[in-house]
Amino acid sequence: MTKNYIKCFILIFLSFVACTKDEFEGPSLQNLYGDFSISSPFIISNSTPNFTNNETVKFFCDFNKSVDWKITIKGLQTGSIKEITGFSDIIDSNVVSWNGNTSKVPFFGEETCALELSFLTEPDTLRDTLIITGNKIYDGILVADFENGIPQDALVFHQFSMNMTFDTASDDPLNGNSYFKMGGRMGWNEWFLGSIDFPLDMSSVNSSAEDFYINLGVLSGINGEVASDQFINILISESNYPFNDDLSNNASDVFQDTMEVYKYQIRPVDWVGWNMVSVRYDQFEVKSSGGNNIRQPKNITAIKLQCQSCPGLSANCPENMGIDVRTDVDFLIFTEGADILNQ
Amino acid sequence: MKNHFLKILLFSISVFQLEIISFTQQNEKIWFDGLGRSYFSRDNVVSNGDTISPNNMSGGYNLIDLNVHVNPIPNIEVFGQVRVQNQFGGFFGSGTQIDVRQLTARGTFKNKIKFSVGDIYLKQNRFTLYNYDEDLNLYKSDFYNSYKSIIDYENFYEENRWRLQGLQVDFSYKFDRFIRTLEFDFFTTRPRGSSQINSALNTFQSDMLLSGATIYSKISNSISAELNYSTLNELPNSGTQLKSVKNPVYQIGLIHNYNAKKFNFNSKIQAGFSERSWSYKVGYDSISHRKLGMFFEYKSELSKMDTLFNISWGSRYVDPNFRSSAAQSRRIDMTESNLTTIYTTYSNDAVIRPISVFDIISDLNIYNQNISPTLMNFNPIFSNALPYGDATPNRIGVFLKGFYKNKKKYFDINFSTSFFSEVIGQGTSRKRTFLTFSQLTKVYLNEIFNHKKEFNFSLGYLNQITNREGDSIEFINLNSNHIDFKMEKELLDKVYFNFSTKRVKALGNEYLTVRDGFDEIITFQQVDYNRIDYLHALGLKYQFKKDVYIDIQYNFWGSEFNRANFYDFDFQRLLFIFSIKL
Repeated sequence: MTKNYIKCFILIFLSFVACTKDEFEGPSLQNLYGDFSISSPFIISNSTPNFTNNETVKFFCDFNKSVDWKITIKGLQTGSIKEITGFSDIIDSNVVSWNGNTSKVPFFGEETCALELSFLTEPDTLRDTLIITGNKIYDGILVADFENGIPQDALVFHQFSMNMTFDTASDDPLNGNSYFKMGGRMGWNEWFLGSIDFPLDMSSVNSSAEDFYINLGVLSGINGEVASDQFINILISESNYPFNDDLSNNASDVFQDTMEVYKYQIRPVDWVGWNMVSVRYDQFEVKSSGGNNIRQPKNITAIKLQCQSCPGLSANCPENMGIDVRTDVDFLIFTEGADILNQ
Repeated sequence: MKNHFLKILLFSISVFQLEIISFTQQNEKIWFDGLGRSYFSRDNVVSNGDTISPNNMSGGYNLIDLNVHVNPIPNIEVFGQVRVQNQFGGFFGSGTQIDVRQLTARGTFKNKIKFSVGDIYLKQNRFTLYNYDEDLNLYKSDFYNSYKSIIDYENFYEENRWRLQGLQVDFSYKFDRFIRTLEFDFFTTRPRGSSQINSALNTFQSDMLLSGATIYSKISNSISAELNYSTLNELPNSGTQLKSVKNPVYQIGLIHNYNAKKFNFNSKIQAGFSERSWSYKVGYDSISHRKLGMFFEYKSELSKMDTLFNISWGSRYVDPNFRSSAAQSRRIDMTESNLTTIYTTYSNDAVIRPISVFDIISDLNIYNQNISPTLMNFNPIFSNALPYGDATPNRIGVFLKGFYKNKKKYFDINFSTSFFSEVIGQGTSRKRTFLTFSQLTKVYLNEIFNHKKEFNFSLGYLNQITNREGDSIEFINLNSNHIDFKMEKELLDKVYFNFSTKRVKALGNEYLTVRDGFDEIITFQQVDYNRIDYLHALGLKYQFKKDVYIDIQYNFWGSEFNRANFYDFDFQRLLFIFSIKL
């Protein structure tokens, strides 16, 4: 009886032991507290990519534990920067790749790029180079790149005050060889400096406002300084009224208070150099509710870029008496599904 | 009814003012009992380096709990407890609180079905609904029992039951063939009501319900069976929270009892499983963070018929995913936000004082009365092997415990040992092992030397060793020693002199688990211990009778951390308690 009992007890206990498992719960202690080491070298799949042909560059490296890593690609001529980040113990070439886009404008050109693999919590850095042999072509509906001057149908209006620059220029383009300068200095107490209007036909677009992006390169800063409270208003009209019905006013006629107009303000424009601003259409507010207040990209008929700034004669910003406003623009493009820097 | 209640209240206050120490009135329809207590403590800092904290502080209160029992009709009792409490320093109405502390109605329908409505005390199986003792509780010993009785009373801890509010019904059948008895118990309670979390955002916490059932059957003289079920649910529509928990637990057990001439041999085998899942209003699918787990336990017990000797042993497996909210909720949540009452901050850096041995012994405010759907924090130096009692998940092992009482009443010995291992490792595939040994011996010197006046001492010891093999990162070795000593001498008739000391020393390293709102481990915090906690107490106690006493104590307590940038603390307390059970 006693022997059988002991046998039963041992059998039950052994069956318990068989239940133990070799996995573990929670994050790996090695990941949290182990010393870091790189298990294999940093490999790039293509050192002369031609992004025009949709080529990509794939990356591979693996480590003994999961870390926060960052791949930085810097164009040595343009200064464009692309950053790819992750937290893992492997940079998997099936997942981590580069298609020639940028994280920070200007865009990459045909140039040599410096590559750097660094880690947030470790001092190690791995370096390499590659040469871009063909630029990436961005998908989207290009509204204006100013390569052939101001588009024919566009309407430009500006105040006649000091140093007004509402024209194309070639000295510092974001993309291609030309851009549109919007700036100057107001000699009286007026915020509005000028604007440029483009007629549009978006009837072939099927995206919703949540998937429709307005992307605009904006250049600011003169000698490292910017005017106080300078900004750009983007107005989008869904009105079917004729774009340029009144030929006497140098501005389109589809942004009136009685029409369906939406507005987004890039305010302030307080950086030095180029910056790519991307805004989803559903982020636009209703400016004048002449329509159904439903933002529908396919109904867009015109876009207006307004340059505004706090006037120097105002008591709020007397410092603007000594500096010109600069809100130059380039590469106005609509994209669907993702903004331009995430293509 | 209100007038009746007012009369009762006024009557109770007048009784208190007339300083009638003890009284019980009983007649057929209404009777009273209750408790009165005077409590005063004066604490002071000994550490010289602390120039910010006040050198000393004092506080206390008088309270009376008047229990009113009313029998409006036979077999029905209505019970209400009214508390009148006055903080020292309060003047007349200022600082005085009057609360209805408990309300219960209970009775029997036609002498067949018992019911309770209101405040009910619930306990089921150790894996489905059970309020495990707090850390450092060694065999329910009487060390510091003045503190302990207050903590248990104030937190409604009675025999490992959770005090909940709801409805309980039980009834039973007797049979003359196949089985002997069939007993049923059902309950449904609301551990937490819907309440506003943020008035600005207008967010509300959901109602939480705990329901369950027990079926027990005595199949024959030697065999019985039990079935327990408990389920914790949040009702999503009663709040604005985006997630709601659901945690049903099932248990089935078979008990065999064998009686010999001098011994009783009892064996129990039980198993069960749990599911804990979350339903979401938005965002997640229904199986996210779902945990399914089981447990299995075998236990045998051999006891002498004269109750002088008992030994039990067994083995247990609790799955890492076994979750039973009503059995795994701890009495003390060792999270940093659970602040101590005395000297909440200390040192010139005003750092938050961690919970120490003294706080566990004396501070009723750090204790918890709620059921937690997720695992609460614990401190491995106080309890690492089974921080959630027998229902601790991720454990497999064997245990042995027992007691021996000397026939001549010279001494009692309790002992226990266990060896457990993790089922699955944490952060590594290597598993921790936990070896625990404890004993408590009480020696009655007055019996040995044949003195009439009581003279005894107790010595308790608990050693818990946690190990994990592996490389320098995986390796764990934590050794926690817990020593208790108490000497009690009756100097004059019913006047006792007490000296007791408690010391916990923890040396080694561990990893604390940090869990998210879904109970998933998100990281581990590496900790090294070389800590000593101590509490020494000297006192005199005058015991008028069993539940009426005056206790005056002087306590020396503190913690030594032996770590750079971590301040030790050292305090003293003068304590006066006058407790009367009416």
